[in-house]
Amino acid sequence: MISSLKHHFLVAAHLIKMSIQRTLEYPVELIGWLFANPLQFVLGIATIKFVIAEFGTLNGWTFGELAFLYGLAVISHGLSVIFFVQTWFMGSAMLEGEFDILMLRPMNVLFQFFFRFFYLIGITDLIPGIVIFIYGCSQIHLVWSFINILMLISVLIGATLIRGAVFLFTGSLAFWTKSRNSFLFLNFAIFDQTTKYPLSIYPRVIQMIFTFLIPLGFIGFYPASDFLDKGNIFNSSGTMPWVTLVVGFFVFWIVTRIFRRGLRKYESAGT
Amino acid sequence: MALIEVNHLVKNFKVAEKEKGLTGALKSVVSRKTKIVKAVNDISFTIREGEVVAYIGPNGAGKSTTVKMLSGILTPTSGNILIDGLSPQKNRKQVVKNLGVVFGQRSQLNWDLRLGETFELLKRIYQIDNAKYRQNLETMNEILEIDTIINTPVRQLSLGQRMRGDLAAAMLHSPPILFLDEPTIGLDVEAKYSIRKFIKEVNSSKKTTIILTTHDLGDIQELCSRLIIINKGVIIEDGSLNDLIDRIAPYRQLIVDFYKEHSDITHPLAEVVEKEGARIVFRFEKANITASRLIEDISKKMRIKDVSLNEAKIEDIIRAVYKK
Repeated sequence: MISSLKHHFLVAAHLIKMSIQRTLEYPVELIGWLFANPLQFVLGIATIKFVIAEFGTLNGWTFGELAFLYGLAVISHGLSVIFFVQTWFMGSAMLEGEFDILMLRPMNVLFQFFFRFFYLIGITDLIPGIVIFIYGCSQIHLVWSFINILMLISVLIGATLIRGAVFLFTGSLAFWTKSRNSFLFLNFAIFDQTTKYPLSIYPRVIQMIFTFLIPLGFIGFYPASDFLDKGNIFNSSGTMPWVTLVVGFFVFWIVTRIFRRGLRKYESAGT
Repeated sequence: MALIEVNHLVKNFKVAEKEKGLTGALKSVVSRKTKIVKAVNDISFTIREGEVVAYIGPNGAGKSTTVKMLSGILTPTSGNILIDGLSPQKNRKQVVKNLGVVFGQRSQLNWDLRLGETFELLKRIYQIDNAKYRQNLETMNEILEIDTIINTPVRQLSLGQRMRGDLAAAMLHSPPILFLDEPTIGLDVEAKYSIRKFIKEVNSSKKTTIILTTHDLGDIQELCSRLIIINKGVIIEDGSLNDLIDRIAPYRQLIVDFYKEHSDITHPLAEVVEKEGARIVFRFEKANITASRLIEDISKKMRIKDVSLNEAKIEDIIRAVYKK
């Protein structure tokens, strides 16, 4: 057990090292993203500002509270870019036979797949997220107590896993459909709409869908509503940050099973 | 005991049938036509430890599909495979520890980084200890000259260098079984030479069992004691190269140069296939008469200036087999 953990850790560390080296081979790309990427979050926060300027509050949420919610969501987005970016392009990887090499090595295929592209450029999403989040925290006067920090970490891990699971799920479908369709932009649109605004502004049916069917509400809305005492359909008070972690591990585990089923249908490519 | 056992292996692929043009594309959105292609259709064979087997066949015969099933990448539609008693599908991690696999068309080396980085990664994945790692690299260095390329980014290696790197990467954990899928494809004579030399070396020094798919007949002649020929998913020949030659083309050609042109030299056991000036080409079956006897008989009739002997061309034999 310990030796297996050590084995995985050493391999992951080397793969991460290789990814960073590879990123540094093409420094221009990093610099390009560094300028281009934060722009979408500036636009995101500007949209929220515009909505608030128009309506005063959004379903009882002030601009500072919305910045807290949005910042939290963008941080987990950045983390999911760093750890799970390869799942965005799983359809192509599958069709081009890239799993061959991973399957020839005596380690878990998914483990290798995740760490093969540790995408350092994701920090260009992460940094704007942190900036927006810190601003939100200062507006809502968040107390940086030990338990609050622990809860935030719990939310971020859970939320990152939920995001990864969604992409891994849509990516795994390629094993059955044999097509490149990655649902990439559909996923992005849904993530954006469900994490930028409080889920409570949507009709009840939609709230249910994004709670029980595709649990995106746990990425930002449920934990944030607990931090801000906003109330939600669960009437939870302070438990949601932990629930997010559990939901994250749970959906990730389920999707992993689906991936493994799909891998049996893997057909490699050409010769 | 058989190290590799393949029993009634079948692999079907569903292939989409598309009609041409935009209308075809639209039609396929509404209703998808698929047909089943039997890439591998009920094949069985066993391979003993230390054998070097050429697994050959025309393009699309099912060679790569078989190798991919043997190495756990593809799941067979039916039938089973045992490698040292284990199924590569059910016990993938266990089985691949004992395999080295090289795909000539697909490198396992990290494109952007120096060759050594991939080796370092493999060292960690296979948990090779330092002493063993260094020793393996050193042995491989003798033939594959890894030292000269280890610090070069893989994208800057020539095809021959890359293939040397891929072979070394596959052998780093000293696997007892090696699958080589077209390892000499597109290589120049020099690169082919060093790769063949390396294959011979690992087979003789470590008794490594090797399955090799190739279109290069030189590979077969130089390396393989046994030949399995597959066509349209079915094994059509399995045996040694010499057996195959004896069966398919048991004849040789004797080319005789005389001092002057002569037209009526014949022999009851040899057939005259070509006449040109003072040269006559005889074809005879090994089983009927020996070359020395034939030369002796002919020289009694006419003074011979020079002779040479041609074996049947392996290319012709393989082509004859494919056509069957």
